[in-house]
Amino acid sequence: MGIPMGPVSALVLSPIIGAILLMMVPQGRDKWVRWIATAFTAVPLLIALHCVYHYDKVLGGYQCLEKISWIPTLGINYQVGLDGISVVLVLLHSLCSFTGVLVSYRVQKRVKEYYIFYLLLIGGVAGVFASLDLFFFYLFYEMAVIPMFPLIGIWGSKDKEYATMKLTLYLTAGAVLALIGLSIVYLASGAQSFDLIFLERYLMQNPLPTQLQVWVFPFLLFGFGVIAPMWPLHSWSPLGHASAPSAVSMLHAGVLMKLGSYAILRIAMQLLPAGAQFWMPWVAIIAIMNILYGGFVAMAQKDIKFTIGYSSSSHMGYVLLGLACMNPVGLNGAVLLMFAHGIMTALAFAAIGHIYDQTHTRITAEWGGLARQIPFVSTLFIMAAMASSGLPGFANFVSELLIFFASWNVYRWSALAAIFGIVTTAFYMLRTVRTAFFGPLNPKWAELKDATNFEKIPYLILLAALMIVGIWPRSLLEIISTATPNILAHLK
Amino acid sequence: MMHTLFWILPEVWLSTIIFLLLALDLKWGEEKHPLMGLIAIAGMLPLFPILFLLAKEGGSHELFSGMFRVDTMALFFKGIFTVSGIVALVLAREFGKAVDRAHGEFYLLFLIAVLGMFLAASSANFLMLFISLELVAITLYVLVSYLHTNLQSLESGLKYLVLGSLSSALFLYGIAFIYGTTGSLHFETIHAMSLRAQTLPAGLVFGILLVLAGILFKAAVVPFQIWAPDVYQGAPTPVTAFLSVGSKALAFLVALRILQELFLPFSMAWNSVLVFASGATILYGNLCAIPQTNIKRFMAYSSIGHAGYLLMGITAGVDIGSAAVSYYLLGYLFTNLVLFLVITAVTLQTGSDEIKSFAGLSKRSPFLAAAMFIGLLSLAGVPPMAGFFGKFLLVLSALSQGYLTLAIIGAVAVVISLYYYLRVVQTLYADEPVDATPIKIGTTMKMSIVACLIGIFVLGIWQYPFLAISIRSIQHIF
Repeated sequence: MGIPMGPVSALVLSPIIGAILLMMVPQGRDKWVRWIATAFTAVPLLIALHCVYHYDKVLGGYQCLEKISWIPTLGINYQVGLDGISVVLVLLHSLCSFTGVLVSYRVQKRVKEYYIFYLLLIGGVAGVFASLDLFFFYLFYEMAVIPMFPLIGIWGSKDKEYATMKLTLYLTAGAVLALIGLSIVYLASGAQSFDLIFLERYLMQNPLPTQLQVWVFPFLLFGFGVIAPMWPLHSWSPLGHASAPSAVSMLHAGVLMKLGSYAILRIAMQLLPAGAQFWMPWVAIIAIMNILYGGFVAMAQKDIKFTIGYSSSSHMGYVLLGLACMNPVGLNGAVLLMFAHGIMTALAFAAIGHIYDQTHTRITAEWGGLARQIPFVSTLFIMAAMASSGLPGFANFVSELLIFFASWNVYRWSALAAIFGIVTTAFYMLRTVRTAFFGPLNPKWAELKDATNFEKIPYLILLAALMIVGIWPRSLLEIISTATPNILAHLK
Repeated sequence: MMHTLFWILPEVWLSTIIFLLLALDLKWGEEKHPLMGLIAIAGMLPLFPILFLLAKEGGSHELFSGMFRVDTMALFFKGIFTVSGIVALVLAREFGKAVDRAHGEFYLLFLIAVLGMFLAASSANFLMLFISLELVAITLYVLVSYLHTNLQSLESGLKYLVLGSLSSALFLYGIAFIYGTTGSLHFETIHAMSLRAQTLPAGLVFGILLVLAGILFKAAVVPFQIWAPDVYQGAPTPVTAFLSVGSKALAFLVALRILQELFLPFSMAWNSVLVFASGATILYGNLCAIPQTNIKRFMAYSSIGHAGYLLMGITAGVDIGSAAVSYYLLGYLFTNLVLFLVITAVTLQTGSDEIKSFAGLSKRSPFLAAAMFIGLLSLAGVPPMAGFFGKFLLVLSALSQGYLTLAIIGAVAVVISLYYYLRVVQTLYADEPVDATPIKIGTTMKMSIVACLIGIFVLGIWQYPFLAISIRSIQHIF
């Protein structure tokens, strides 16, 4: 037994330690609470930046590995490390969580409890991206789901009680389904190990019988697919977005949903390649349902958070389509889209939260002309909307383009339908922007305040990330593409 | 080498405390003496070092011409009984302040029940086992109906007495059949015979099934679960806590002993029954818990559900399954005790067992609300709490035996259980309190809650040493 000391452990444990510290802060010291939360999420952000910057692209593979034997009887190890995919997602996560903490400065009710749960959520999600052991992967996954319950249930709005229960039950149902799949893989492999790196190698040499793979794969696909969110299991997600407080929506849409596609990529596709070969054509069809169904439903929404919520589930369809292609371009596009979409949604929800806290309504039609009154925040939302519609110059454009290219030769019809999906996005995004931000200013909102200088910090961080990656996508693509060949090697 | 009599030191010590309390009770008479509870609790504490020393020595030791046997499993379970006994006494002390009838005998009865459990854990003979189980059962009949002016308590006592006697009769009848076919009551002899057996005599199957019925009754497993909700609700809260933990652990100890140790070669006679009972119990307990409005009744159904999970480990009888039962019980022990500590603290203040009366607990006492939140999550099997790893082991063991359907039922029930546990959490955190006066708790209560919470987290995070203990605890079975 040693003590986990490396950078990746620090990244995962820092928010959790912060949460434990917060429990000891006396009631009513809200300022301390905010500072502690900020400090313990700033550390992971710095570590993530460091890891991305120093990621050795020539070497590739898993880096910054740490391994501690945890339960030798069952072959469970505490093992964390980052490869080209997870390092990018960890960066996304720490950006969203750090800015989320700053945005949450607006929370006034039960501040201490709020940050405790928020930090636990952050730690759980970081743990999932960093874990390279199936047991710990699952442990962190469930740890990430549960804090959502109080976060939405107490600090949410509208149908918060129904929404939070639905979200928790859907995600737990998916998790236990996946647990059964993971256990079967563990038992059937006969390797007596939950170590993901070891299992990857072991199963490459001793693959499981094809028939077994084909019937176990759905456990993992749909189990993790719930959080992806995969149609028709997505209905918890827009509701959850809409009811959550804005920082939680940012993390939820920005990062939490990516856990699903990440898990499918990392675990299901790598460990069960024959299962993937069998099921991925179906996933391509489901992905189209996601894109079109989500897009059409988003068009019909009156509440702006629901619009973005359905739009998110629509865009996750592109990610799934990218995964289903099972070629390097598709996977690279999918991972880049996870990043780009995460930043874009976080930005959109931050802007919506800023406005909603003052207007107390999110009905798009009741806003109107806000660009005159609060130009800065309006610009943010408009930028996010443009990125989401796939305007060149944003990373979303690059990644969606990659996915179209990748799917053109594999699933021609799906590619065509996916391209049509762009039209729906442009339709609802532009319409939302027009109704909410242009036209005559609704006189009710003449008192609305724009972001103060301090409030601009998180917004500018997110905007900068979106722009930098959009203009210079190679910065991340080069890292991502070191990891994709490893995964595809299993699928051959 | 220790003297053989050293191995019954825990029982001797416990009997000494019991006689001491008996004498003191006579001396102090009717008035409530504040020292009584403290002496009972302090008297239990030395059991930990004694049990620890014996466990360190290890091995299996027979005394009294094979009537009594001390092995690691017996010691493990004696540890569980000691913890649940101590917490029950802490609760009883708190409870005693609020009701008019709680004299020395209340503590005394708890100690006698623990003694009975100790003897049962070490029984190596069916007669000895039966007598120890009866010792436990009879003290529990009295404890359940302890509030003799309260109709509900009396009703539940009567129900427990009638149904409990029926199950004892079945158990005894089963023993008779086992004796009739094997010609022995001694575990060693029966074990040796079952290993050699070529055929499965019908009389023996009948005997095993009857004994099984007796055990399943004590564990409150479908179809013998009907008594549990009424008895749990009517009994004084400390007794409910003791029933839900100590009594349940006892039932599974006996199940492990009889089914895994004695009749494993005959598993085809009982295994399919248990698989069915396990699935049905998990579903019954979890589904029936949903509409409950009374917290004790709620805990009763939840504990029925957990009995189903424990049974899963027994059906998947290979080493990991039995170790999972031990591990699960250990986690369940701390979790349930935390919940009953909180429940007692709150109900004594509000005077109501309704779940409604817990509304806004997070404002009245953030500490109690957090403890209850953690306890409920642990029961639901959420990491990093104790309940998670126990469930994980059980699902793994069920799958390793090929019981896919059972594993799926177990997994689905986790979602169902999360629903009703989280509804209570909603009441604690989101609802407004009817009466916002803060709830104060005493030092012993607070210390017990903190100790149990530490137990929950340690078992949930640092699993390995406890898994090793659980595996050691079942070594002497095989």
